[in-house]
Amino acid sequence: MENKPCIEFKNITLGYKKTGETISILKNINLSFFEGDLIGIVGLNGVGKSTLIKSLSGLLPVLKGEILIDEKPISNYNLNELAKKIAIVLTEKIGGFNLTAFDVVSAGQMPYTNSFNKLSSHNLEIIDAAISTCGIAEHQNKLLYELSDGLFQKTIIAKALAQQTPIMLLDEPSAFLDFASKHELFLLLKKLTEEQKKCVLVSSHDLDLILKYCTKLLVISTTKVELISSSEAKTNATFKEIGGRFI
Amino acid sequence: MQENTGIKFLVLIILLFIAGYLSLFFAGSESITVSELSLNNFIFWQIRFPKTLTAILAGSTLSAAGLILQIIFRNPLAGPYVLGISSGASLMVSLSILAGGSLNLLSNFFIGKSFIVVSAIAGSVLVTTLILAISKKVNSSVILLLIGLMISQICGALQIGLEYFSDATSLKSFVTWGMGSLANTTNFDLLIFLPIALISLLALLFFIKPLNALLLGENYSQNIGVNFNSSRFYLIFISSVLTGLTTAFCGPIAFVGIAVPILSRMIFKSSKQQLHLASCILLGSIILLFSDTLANTLIKNISLPINMLTTFIGAPLVIYLMFKNKSW
Repeated sequence: MENKPCIEFKNITLGYKKTGETISILKNINLSFFEGDLIGIVGLNGVGKSTLIKSLSGLLPVLKGEILIDEKPISNYNLNELAKKIAIVLTEKIGGFNLTAFDVVSAGQMPYTNSFNKLSSHNLEIIDAAISTCGIAEHQNKLLYELSDGLFQKTIIAKALAQQTPIMLLDEPSAFLDFASKHELFLLLKKLTEEQKKCVLVSSHDLDLILKYCTKLLVISTTKVELISSSEAKTNATFKEIGGRFI
Repeated sequence: MQENTGIKFLVLIILLFIAGYLSLFFAGSESITVSELSLNNFIFWQIRFPKTLTAILAGSTLSAAGLILQIIFRNPLAGPYVLGISSGASLMVSLSILAGGSLNLLSNFFIGKSFIVVSAIAGSVLVTTLILAISKKVNSSVILLLIGLMISQICGALQIGLEYFSDATSLKSFVTWGMGSLANTTNFDLLIFLPIALISLLALLFFIKPLNALLLGENYSQNIGVNFNSSRFYLIFISSVLTGLTTAFCGPIAFVGIAVPILSRMIFKSSKQQLHLASCILLGSIILLFSDTLANTLIKNISLPINMLTTFIGAPLVIYLMFKNKSW
């Protein structure tokens, strides 16, 4: 285990503002995540998994407290610096405008290019490496809407890889995938944490997969947030409460 | 693929020269030959030259504005004309001519023109912002198109109302200008039109990254280091300047803004927006130059409205796209 956490939650409260009203979902959390961790975020619908991911990626401001990325508050990063620290994979569909899988992956290198977005041979090497790690080399010139859900998901993950970030956040990446693709996806994430020492947080409703592949679980219920190791999950009360009792 | 792109651009540049030549020498009641050309040829320098340059400027600005709008809305069916932005600009132009007349602003050429241009830009900004607010509530590109149509109808109705209050001379200029025309721009107008158009188009060079990133949506563009809200704000402003400027001088020109970026994506199978920006400027100019030539030569001694030609090119493309449920 590394001694310094790459992500640290310092007494944070997460939520969002809706028509002047503040809705807080997760309150006063203190947590640390380290390089090489593959953390499964589990919890029932609406409990705040997506809010957590959006706050952690800087897309939503935290209501209280501070998130530290490599010991520096997230609010002190400018967008381009943050883009080199955290990469996200969301559920939203993108496509059209002649966008190919390659184009999306190369967007991951945008924080490293000049203002004309010209890709150098170095940029291209990184993009190619990301493409081959995710196993989408023969599909890279396909338009996005020609890709199956599994390939699309791998493309977005390759984009996140091309960002060369120590941290990767994925919001329900397994939601629309078939059985085999789900396993391939988690195997890929496992490989990234083991070989590239990334810190990967992935939310999912596939509790069996999370148990099988993740090293740690972030269990979120309406009353509690707990970070546990996957080996102790089956005896954990909160994990049982959010559906673990059916496994 | 790279070689092809070069050849295609070369073809476009050659076409631009051909179209420019045809428009300069043949698009009118009489053709001029290069050998007759002299410095004091009135028709050439006072009529053809400003009209040809106006066609190039209008084609470039409207196509670039269309490209920006399609990216901002992430909707291949967006454009300044179909979303009612040109109508908003037109309405403001009419208002400013009326108000300017009564405030006695129009007697000075530069103050008068600037007042009209600024009003047209304000009209574009207003409608674009309105459409953007509405687009957050609807997620269908076709419904957005219908809303644009309604906004354009409302602006049109207000415009008709204004025409009732105007005197005979301004009424005539309203009506001819409202039909869209490349021929109303004089060499003096170009002293305002050309520099603002050039500056606005050049300003887009600073937005190559945002234009590419915005295609991936708000969350992903923020995550790859592009400030979504501020880029969108500046891009809306630039597209409004481009649309408002051209509308102030040429009136609403139909379908160029929506059709040219679509054509560009059909010709260049690329998602690089810097490439499309260049090709939209070329293609937009070519299409308006050819339309101008056709409008003036199809029927002898009669100059057809330019919008008739551009609609015949643009509208079928839009219908084709709607059938082909694939976003270009």
